[in-house]
Amino acid sequence: MSSYTEEFESKQKPADYYAKLYEELERINEKFNAFNVLVKATGNGMPFSVKDNICVRGIETTASSKILKGYIPPFNATVVDRIIRTGRFSLIGKTNMDEFGFGSFGINCDKPAKNPLDEGRVPGGSSSGAAVATALLKYHVAIAESTGGSISAPAAFCGVVGFTPTYSVLSRYGLIDYANSLDKIGFMARSADDIKIMLDITKGLDKRDSTSSSKPIHRVKHNNLIIIKELMDKVEDGIKSEFYKFTDKLKGLGYNIKTVDFRDIELSIPSYYLIAMSEASTNLAKFTGFKYGFKVEDFSKNYNDFFTEARDKFGEEAKRRIILGTFIRSASVRDKYYLKSLSIRRWMIDKLSMLLKDAFIISPTMPILPPKIEDANRMTPVQNYASDILTIPANLGGFPHISIPFSYSGELPLSAQVIGSHFNDYGVISFASDWEKNFKYKFKYNLGDL
Amino acid sequence: MKIGLEVHVALPTRSKLFCGCSTAETQEPNVNVCPICMGFPGSKPSLNESAIIIAKSIADALKCKIKDKISFVRKVYFYPDLPKSFQITQLQDSIGMEGELTLDSGKSIRIRRVQIEEDPAKIIRGEDHSLIDFNRAGIPLVEIVTEPDIADKDELKSFIFVLKAILYYIGVDIDREIKADLNISLGKERVEIKNVTGTKNLIEAADYEIKRQGELIKMGIEPIKETRSYDERTRTTASSREKETDEEYGYIYEPDLTEYDVKRYPVKTSINPVQKAKELALKHSYSENSILEAIAFDRQALETIEENQDKFEFKTLMQAINEIKRFKVGKLDDESLRMLIDEIAGGFQIDEDVIKSVIEHKKVEHNRVSSSELDRQIREFIDKDRRIIDRYKKNKKLVDYVAGEIIKRYKAQPKEVLKRAKEILDSLVK
Repeated sequence: MSSYTEEFESKQKPADYYAKLYEELERINEKFNAFNVLVKATGNGMPFSVKDNICVRGIETTASSKILKGYIPPFNATVVDRIIRTGRFSLIGKTNMDEFGFGSFGINCDKPAKNPLDEGRVPGGSSSGAAVATALLKYHVAIAESTGGSISAPAAFCGVVGFTPTYSVLSRYGLIDYANSLDKIGFMARSADDIKIMLDITKGLDKRDSTSSSKPIHRVKHNNLIIIKELMDKVEDGIKSEFYKFTDKLKGLGYNIKTVDFRDIELSIPSYYLIAMSEASTNLAKFTGFKYGFKVEDFSKNYNDFFTEARDKFGEEAKRRIILGTFIRSASVRDKYYLKSLSIRRWMIDKLSMLLKDAFIISPTMPILPPKIEDANRMTPVQNYASDILTIPANLGGFPHISIPFSYSGELPLSAQVIGSHFNDYGVISFASDWEKNFKYKFKYNLGDL
Repeated sequence: MKIGLEVHVALPTRSKLFCGCSTAETQEPNVNVCPICMGFPGSKPSLNESAIIIAKSIADALKCKIKDKISFVRKVYFYPDLPKSFQITQLQDSIGMEGELTLDSGKSIRIRRVQIEEDPAKIIRGEDHSLIDFNRAGIPLVEIVTEPDIADKDELKSFIFVLKAILYYIGVDIDREIKADLNISLGKERVEIKNVTGTKNLIEAADYEIKRQGELIKMGIEPIKETRSYDERTRTTASSREKETDEEYGYIYEPDLTEYDVKRYPVKTSINPVQKAKELALKHSYSENSILEAIAFDRQALETIEENQDKFEFKTLMQAINEIKRFKVGKLDDESLRMLIDEIAGGFQIDEDVIKSVIEHKKVEHNRVSSSELDRQIREFIDKDRRIIDRYKKNKKLVDYVAGEIIKRYKAQPKEVLKRAKEILDSLVK
């Protein structure tokens, strides 16, 4: 067993372990901005963090948005509840992110997190803080969330394991919505086995989330691995050649590798963004500076001005998505954009399901290395969105997927993403677990080591 | 003239549509609230399935096609009474589509759609401020949308009456208030009167609007497409001065709710009281209106009639029903009903004491007055005012008045009193 959780549980901890850890994190957070809130841990469990768009009772939860400044949820997200109930875990903080999950690099917020492997580079997003915290701490698991790649991308850029379950396997109750039909809570850790522990604790039907499922998840291991040609075409050459070395290695381990064509797979990008923005623009409608978070003081204003004052607190990307999303939903284009995107999603699910019947799909997680912060800031929104091409198909279809490091380019990790069929969540986790028997991940930091 | 309605009916569920908060009416504001109906970030709706059962029953009673699968949509607009800035409602996949309601005249009004939705909060307007009470936010509603088939005020009245009666028999008692948007067009364009509350106001608003548009047309002015509001104090409608663009609500599917398989839910079979009244009237050659009036909002009355229609003379039975209603005693058992009907058939006055005896199955006590005493009383009564005799000459019905006064005094054998009064008056007239 190579689970850090069990290793942590088996070790003697000094009485001031959590106090020391808190101090250390306070100091290092100045540099990396991994946490929006640090918490003095209670209990003596494995340290865990929660992405800041997931509600924890009594602790400020802002999704890194100024409009939610001061929002203290009166309830726990179901996933958080289930973890706390085991008594095996101690909360250490809420992790940084792109505002409301809107971003692939972690730069769309006030104090962006930095990549611990190279401070000049982005950590990936939107679960930036979760990945940075996982890269910093030896004993720690992160609850993160992905809509279009927000777990895979930062996990890949920071060199940790990132798992996104089948849509509906984990309850979304307590998640501050980005795009409800796409949002999935998931995990980051330093090993696949830690992820399996988290999944076992949190999975399953929740009456408070009507879209959660009681269907059992299974563990089907496939020896067939599929590479989609059109996706590889989008990958930077350096990464591509390293990836093929990795697949050669996998061949050596007994896997069959097959490359297939999937024409129009890039349609998943507009389909994803159109659905995501449509839903996001309705989810963000409730932020009116009225009942929670940022509050407008001047009640003498008429309600249009009142709402406008509050909604000015949204960041630029949030405003962009509200405007685009509202346009996409308008009666004149709704059929052509919104409804069409829903059919593309349906089509994509059917096609991918066919491929996944007796195989996993494998690809690099990201088509590029983590960009330098200034380069990321210079990218146009469309270039930004295009960098999600490898993570979007699995996310759009709600398929379980895991991102694992397979090689290093200097300090920077190269990661691969493995996609399984619906509810074969244990299948992709055990693929990763098997890989870990042949490959040792490198970590620059080991805070909280025992 | 075309009149269409969008009626909002609150469903009698114990908890709200998407959370566990109570739907009970309370004076204290903002007590029946929780993170879900307040739209707190992170909270999610879960559907109260008893709302589906009631809504399905309403759709069934209105002869709608009932969808096998229903889904919900978000209707997005900004208003302070809307906690999430969108309302969860239904559109194409509404629970009922294309139904009809038959008026007592026999005319059919087509129903376009029956949909489930959540109520917004209540705004209480003050002089220089507004207060919001979220107790109402999330109360389950059914919206019933008609085609513009209602042709005049009487049909409107009839529609509301029949709709309320049908809903009553499903257990949706809209005693509280009927709320509706009225669409009235005498000309080419549609005028919508929003948020009219109560049957009386609906009729008056329609009445005013029909006159207003009629007068405009008489003057050669075409009424414009607009939204108006009704003022109960002045009983007039006024333009809401809203921009008249096509409504843009940016509908999307509600992604937090799944599809619901409506076949899984039972239907409370409804009774159409109008139909019942027709059948009973025909069978017993009795006034349809009187029957309808008796049963429209009284399930127990209908039961009593149906169970006893072949046991008693129908007219007497209907009189008994009306006495039961008058004294608000609910449903009588067989023995009590038989006793009450005997009293009515015997011509006795029904009062509290009689009802009490009947309910307790005690013999109804009547004052037995001797014939000579009766005669004496009748003669004494006439002697006090001899003009009675002259008036009786002109109108024989005056005997009812004389007998009535004596009966009131003695609560005595009415048939006998009437007989003696007639004989005495007749003898005096000669």
